[in-house]
Amino acid sequence: MTALALAPSPCTHCGLAIPSGRDGAFCCAGCEIVAGAIAAHGLERYYAMRETPAPARTTTRTYAELDDPAFQRVHVRQTEQLANAALYLEDLRCTACVWLVESSPRCIPGLVDVRLDLGRARADVTWDPELTSLPVIARHLDRLGHAVHPYRGLDRDRQRRREDRRLLVKLGVAGAAVGNLMLLAIGLYAGLFEGMSRADATFFRWASMMVAVPALGFAATPFFRTALGALRARRLHLDLPLSIGIAAGLGWGSANVIRGVGEIYFDSLAMLVFLLLVARWIVMHYQRRASSAAELLLALTPSRAHRCHPATGELTDVPIEALVPDDLVRVLVGETIPVDGTVLRGTSALDVGLLTGESRPIDVAPGASVHAGTVNVAAPIDVLVTAVGEATRVGALVASIEALGARRAPIERLVDRIAGRFVVIVTTAAALTLVGWSFLSSPATGAEHAMALLVVTCPCALALATPLAVTVALGRAARRGVLIKGADALERMATPGVMFLDKTGTVTAGELAVVSWRGDLDAAALASAVEAASAHPIARALVRHAATALVATELREELGRGIAGRVGGRHVAVGSPTWSATRTSPTIDAWIAELAERGETPIVVAVDGVPVAVAGLTDPIRADARVALDELAALGWQVELLSGDDPRVVRRVGSALGIPPRRCHGGVTPEAKTAAVAAALSRGPVVMVGDGVNDAAAMAAADAGIAVSGSAEIAIEAADVYLRSPSIRAIAATVAGARATLATIKRNLRFSLGYNLAVGTLAVTGLIHPLIAAAVMPLSSLTVLASSLRSRAFRSSP
Amino acid sequence: MTVFYLVLFLALIGAAAAVAAFAWTVRSGQLDDVDTPPRRILFDDDGHE
Repeated sequence: MTALALAPSPCTHCGLAIPSGRDGAFCCAGCEIVAGAIAAHGLERYYAMRETPAPARTTTRTYAELDDPAFQRVHVRQTEQLANAALYLEDLRCTACVWLVESSPRCIPGLVDVRLDLGRARADVTWDPELTSLPVIARHLDRLGHAVHPYRGLDRDRQRRREDRRLLVKLGVAGAAVGNLMLLAIGLYAGLFEGMSRADATFFRWASMMVAVPALGFAATPFFRTALGALRARRLHLDLPLSIGIAAGLGWGSANVIRGVGEIYFDSLAMLVFLLLVARWIVMHYQRRASSAAELLLALTPSRAHRCHPATGELTDVPIEALVPDDLVRVLVGETIPVDGTVLRGTSALDVGLLTGESRPIDVAPGASVHAGTVNVAAPIDVLVTAVGEATRVGALVASIEALGARRAPIERLVDRIAGRFVVIVTTAAALTLVGWSFLSSPATGAEHAMALLVVTCPCALALATPLAVTVALGRAARRGVLIKGADALERMATPGVMFLDKTGTVTAGELAVVSWRGDLDAAALASAVEAASAHPIARALVRHAATALVATELREELGRGIAGRVGGRHVAVGSPTWSATRTSPTIDAWIAELAERGETPIVVAVDGVPVAVAGLTDPIRADARVALDELAALGWQVELLSGDDPRVVRRVGSALGIPPRRCHGGVTPEAKTAAVAAALSRGPVVMVGDGVNDAAAMAAADAGIAVSGSAEIAIEAADVYLRSPSIRAIAATVAGARATLATIKRNLRFSLGYNLAVGTLAVTGLIHPLIAAAVMPLSSLTVLASSLRSRAFRSSP
Repeated sequence: MTVFYLVLFLALIGAAAAVAAFAWTVRSGQLDDVDTPPRRILFDDDGHE
């Protein structure tokens, strides 16, 4: 390379620096593709609109599975002329993304409408099946940088929308009640100071009761229901003291209105119910989504297979459900193996990374057993079926994810524990107040003060403490590209313990890349031309390394060895050192030895039988991995590598990252990963970080699972946290944020308990007045809100 | 002060009507997605209907 060192110009699409050695105006292939698609459709306004530029990601998926009848039956709704489906889109960030995606009907004839729901990352697409198809639409959205997945959980969405609406109506009723009761209460309070006729006061009190009892009785039903459920199950729940307070306030207040003497607390109660419903609404919006095993399996394995007729060898396409053990299926190059089975005919290489975490393809020959979910990358093979669907290894794995996720007991929330003691203390105090004042004065005074105690100590701020802190944290985290599924996950990650990291795709890039090149640089283009047509991971790495316009002819691929072809009159062979060159030289041998020594796979390029260059391929460690792991260690986490790859490779990666060899576990099967996590759970908190199918069960078994950017869909589903930003330093930011959130929750709880202690003391001593209660209730909630907003969790500048 | 009795009655009817209107907006799905529509309003209507 003799090019002058020019000041690097930023990427035309995302504005990041272009890595040295890359030609053109873009930092990565993703940005180049997306910018091209945007320009081709005349959508350049996107750049003027967007708020946060980020590198684009695209995939090479064809989305052919979206056209499959089995898929269509489940996900596509047909009307007379149009079809409609819901899709889940990745990497939706801002207004510009909404515009870009919703502009799609202009680019694809036959696509009628795209409606985006940014919060759910859900796009509802409507198209004319005569003119276009779902794979075409999905490929278009992918080119725009939004990888497409089928939207799972439509039923769940519908169910949740019903609950959402019901709660929102209650919220509206409670809100209207607060406003009107407050106005009536102001009248009564003014009357205390200015004087008011007894008839007017009685009228205002009756009016208050007429509003409060039906409105609050309706709006507070969710709390009564949970409290009753908790009582029946003999569990403690925050809703129990809340319900006691609300019921006592409504009952005693109504009695006082009818008796014509005594205080009423309807205004404070309405405020209380309103704020509690707000808290409940917030919590509902951050609930964890869970998927059924059947849905997940659909995403992992193809739904159709090519069945070979045993006698004639004729191929018929059949749905996967039609296959039984001892059937014969053919798997073509680039296809995912649909079943567990044994290879009967053909030799090939399989990309098993998704299932086991091994970074290099494994070679298979007749007699080898293969698993559903792995990808055939080299040559067609015939497989004798031994297991289908849920009986396959990946099926069992997925079933265990569901089982582990369901078995994981909900953590005993800090606030419920406090609520339990709270009930005991407040009811005891109320009983003592009743008895004490009955002796000192009269039973009526005793009852008055005891009821006042129950009402004013109703723990409103206590109910707001967790939801507010969590909402602030989750919102800020999402803006930083960390998607957290719920409050539970935050509380689980707050205390440091063991963090297991997967290797392939988590601390490494997850795909082979050419990291060194020795010898003739021009040979890279020749190698790229020869490898262009192959789906083999090594070939793809060489093609990515050097783009070329050269075309190779007379291609000949030899499995496990390499590919040869003719480029511009020269014979080019690319492959393993012993195969590609008939001659060798000491220089070449030295290069091969040097690269192998560093753990790289040496690939020799030979032109007309003479070796001219050696490429070193490896799965490179992510640039930010070392910093990320150091940050985790600084936070008190013990980091261990848990990988399905060769133990030597794992130890080499570990030593590069400063992890001692005894904490680097290689050759671990997915089942063993789950076992390792389960074993560590008895010693303290465990977090599993990964990206593949092989990590998903371990993620579900751990206290919390974190899926890194670019994870398999199933891993994202199984995890509690999904890092949308490509940097794995976000892991440390996540656990630090979780710890800060828990600190904020505790501070909020202290504030609210302090308020309760103060007003409780006033009530016991008989000094409380409804006006004080009315002032203190919103004040305590505002304190908790301010404290939550001041939280350090996920601040943009850590 | 007797006018109060009438005004209060009318005010509460007004509040009940407002609550009913709110319940209608919720049930007709207008508040299902509150994230996307405020962004959509920023688009010029080139190509969008």
